[in-house]
This record gives sequence, structure tokens and C-alpha cells, in this order.
Amino acid sequence: MQTLEVISVNLWQTLISLLNLVVLFLIVKHFLYKPVKKVLAKRQAELEEHYTTAEKAEADARADRLAWEERLSGANAEADAILQNATELAHSRSDAIVSEAREKADGIVRVAQNEAELERRRATESVKREIVEVSGAIAEKMLEREVNVEDHRKLIDSFIENIGESDE
Amino acid sequence: MKRKSLGFILVDALYIAMMTLPIIAGIVLKILTKPASSGITVTGAQIYFTLPLPVQDLPVTESQINSLIVMITALGICLFLTHGLRTRNISRRQHLVEWAIEKVDAMTLDSMGEYFKGFPPFIMSILILSALSSLLSLFGLFPPTSDINIVAGWAILVFLLITYYKFKCGPLGYVKSFCDPPLLAPLNVISEVATPISMAFRHYGNVLSGSVIGVLIATGLQGLSRIVLGWLPGFFGEFPFLQIGLPAVLSIYFDVFSGCLQAYIFAMLTMMYVSGAFNADEYFARKKKKLKN
Amino acid sequence: MLELAIGIILGGCALGAGCAMIAGIGPGIGEGNAVAKACEAIGRQPESKGAVTSTMLMGCAIAETTGLYALVIAILLIFVAPNMLVNILLKAIA
Repeated sequence: MQTLEVISVNLWQTLISLLNLVVLFLIVKHFLYKPVKKVLAKRQAELEEHYTTAEKAEADARADRLAWEERLSGANAEADAILQNATELAHSRSDAIVSEAREKADGIVRVAQNEAELERRRATESVKREIVEVSGAIAEKMLEREVNVEDHRKLIDSFIENIGESDE
Repeated sequence: MKRKSLGFILVDALYIAMMTLPIIAGIVLKILTKPASSGITVTGAQIYFTLPLPVQDLPVTESQINSLIVMITALGICLFLTHGLRTRNISRRQHLVEWAIEKVDAMTLDSMGEYFKGFPPFIMSILILSALSSLLSLFGLFPPTSDINIVAGWAILVFLLITYYKFKCGPLGYVKSFCDPPLLAPLNVISEVATPISMAFRHYGNVLSGSVIGVLIATGLQGLSRIVLGWLPGFFGEFPFLQIGLPAVLSIYFDVFSGCLQAYIFAMLTMMYVSGAFNADEYFARKKKKLKN
Repeated sequence: MLELAIGIILGGCALGAGCAMIAGIGPGIGEGNAVAKACEAIGRQPESKGAVTSTMLMGCAIAETTGLYALVIAILLIFVAPNMLVNILLKAIA
């Protein structure tokens, strides 16, 4: 097998190696750079998209929060108003209840007083009637017997005692 | 992590085969055709056959075959790295390829500027071709970069690019670029012609010096092991045991470091020469004038 | 006579290769200077280590060019020139 000299210039070999470099350039450009650049661009686009969606979501969230805060403050005022109304209502109702109760109690007291009055009157009536009866009986007795001082005193005492007992 | 589908793994295996099989085939070819050598022999590439062509015959040599191997391997690497690209949850190889592309883009932007947007793939291909060609010597193959023709082809392509960008300012601008100080015009012409030659010889010389030193050390170690271990009987006395190990350590410097460094330097010089050849201010002034007319 | 001529050719080529490699002094000194300055620069500004290192490698590679020219010429003289010159000599005699 023959070998070349260490340095031997050959036109065709040089040309072939030049073309080799050109071909490898095309290979690298087409098979290495193009797909990688494509993927990089795609990733860039995806990132952009993610960013825009994230920004949009953030803006949405912010708007939501604002709306909520507004609504919350409105709700606070509403609650205050409701509370006020309720207290007012309760106050008025309690007043009404109290006055009603007072009236009722007054009524009861009045009825009781009336009843007591009636009772007393009845009692005095009955006492009067008894007095009348007793005096009638005393008169009967007095008429039946001769009256002496001693008897008289005894009679009166017993009468009075009778009254006390019956009055009890 | 999602399990990869069977089809994905099959395609991956195909690409890996595309990367490795050419190198294995090259090694087999080398073993089949390598003549038994003795002593210090520093030669060029082996000639497999010769094609008759006008002007000069084309000997199809190891460097041609190995360039082809490098090209197929590079294609396999490109396909393997860009297989299964995703926009999120990316794999390790995608990290690697994105990192590499980002680096090359930044390098090109740094030393060439905005105008040369289409150059990163070219720089990347120079880096891949040069580094892989030099690294072929790790497998015991003939590195195509230690053939002057191969490197000269690349340097001539760079020279064509330089000339193209000099012609962007018109033929008059091209002539004017040599007459910066008018007295030094001949020297400028010489330095212009010297550019591709120096680029080619720099790369070629570095790789060749590595392989020459490798051959020298291997031969020296063969002799040394014959002296030291020659008294052993039979096979043990003949076999150069000292050749195991030490050349590998040296090849880490001469093949890996030097090869990658030369690829980087060739790419850097390409960028510097091409961007230096382009006179941006004058070009844009001309363009504006043309638009006005 | 022929042996003497071939011996002279081989000796001349070897001597020429040795002389050519004197050019290795230049890049050696130059690269040494460059690395020394780079070390100084890194010592002064450790934060700019990456930029200094890459620039230094670049400069070293360019400074090495002359050495490599010498190397190529030396290799030519050792491995290529003797064959060629001996062939020319043989052709001239024949």
C-alpha cells in the first residue's frame, strides 16, 4: 500500500475538503440550528403566553379583590343599618311589652283591690247582720229574764265575748 | 420522568449507530490495510486508489475516507442531539445542545457583531469538523487535519469569505483596502495571500507535530522495552509493554487539548479575519447613497 | 562517489532541519512573555481570569505560528527532501 508524502499538495483533495466544510455547514444549519432555534422560539412564545395569562389572572384577581372590598364595606354599612333598625324595633317592642305588662298588672291590682273592697264590704255586711241578729237575741233574752245589775254585767260581757268569738 | 417509547429508543439507537459505526468501520479498514511498519516512519495518508482527473490525479486516501467518517459522525451527532427536543422538562442532551449553541452564538456576536447573524452555524461546523477530525487520532485513525490539503481547503474557503466581504464595498473598495498606507500596498497584498497559508499551516503543523512526537515516543518506547524486557523469553521479550499507557497520557495533551484548542483558534481567526475584512461604515454609507439614487 | 553524495544530501538535510528549529526559540520566548503577563494580569484582577486566559491562548497560538513554520520546514527536510533530492540525483546520473 502506497502512502503520500508528509506534505503533498493536491488540488482535488483541497477542493473536496472545501466542499466538505460547505456540506457540513449546511448539515449543521439544517439539522442542528434549525430545530434548536425553532424549539427556543417556541419556548419563548410559550413563556410570553404564560406571562400574558399570568398578568391577566393577576389583574383579574386584583379587580375581584377591589370589588369584594367594596362589597364588604357596603355590607358593613348594611349590617350597621340592620342592627340599628333591629335595636330600634326591639326597644319599641320592649317598651310596648313593658307598658302592656304594666297595664295588665295595674288591671290585676285593680281587680284585686275591687275584690278586696267587695270582700270587706261583704264582711262588714255580715258583721252588721250578725250584730243585728245578736242584738235581736239579746233583746229576746233581756225580755225573758228580770234584769239585775249583776246579770246585766254578765250578759254584756258574754255578749262582748260572743262578738269577739264570732268576729274571729 | 416519563418512560420513552420504543420507537424513540429505536431511533436513538439508529443515530448512535450512525455516530459510532463509521469510526468502527474506519478502524477495521485501517487494521486490514495497514502495512507492518518498523522504525521511525512519518508518512502522509495511505492511498487506497487513484482516480484519474484532469490537471492532477486524485488519490483517494485515508484523509478523504476519514473526512467522510467525520461528516457522517457529525450528522449522527446533530440528529442525536436534536432528537426529542421539547419546550419544557428538557433532557440532558437538549441542555448540552442549547448550551453549545448559546456559547457559539455569544462568541460570534462578541467577535463579529450584529451584521454577521448567519455565521454561528458556519463557526459551529468549523468547530465540529476540526475538533472531530483531530480527535479521530484517539481511535488510532489518521487525523485528516494532519493532511495539509484538508486544512488548506478550509482556509481557502475562509479566504473566499474574506474576499467576498471585502468586495461588499465594491471593486474600488477592495483595491482601496490594500492601500491603507499606500506605500505598503505590496506588503498588504502579500499578507492577504499569507492569511490562508498561515491558517492552514498553523492547524496542520500543530496536529502533525503532535502525531510526529507520538510516533517518536512510541518508537522510543519500543526500543526501551526491548532493552529493558528483552531478556524475557519468547513473546514477553518481543512485545513492547512500555508502549501501553504512556502514549495515552501524552495523547491527552496532543490530541484532545491541542486538537480542541486548534479548532477554537481556527474558528476565532475565521471570525476575526472575516469581520475585519468587512468595512461596515463604508458599506452602510454606500447603501444609503444607492437608496438615495 | 554516489554514497558520498547521498551522505552529503542526508547530512545537509539534517543540519538544515536542526538550523530551522532554531526558530523555536522565538515562540518560546514570546509565549513565555505572554503567559507571564497573563499571570500578572490575573494576579492583579482575578475576576477577569476567563477573558485573560482565552485571550492568552489566542495570542499564544498566533505567536506559535512562526515556530510551526519552522517545524513544517524541518519535517520537510527530514522526511520529504532526502527522498526527493536522492531521486533527482539518481535521475541526473542515469
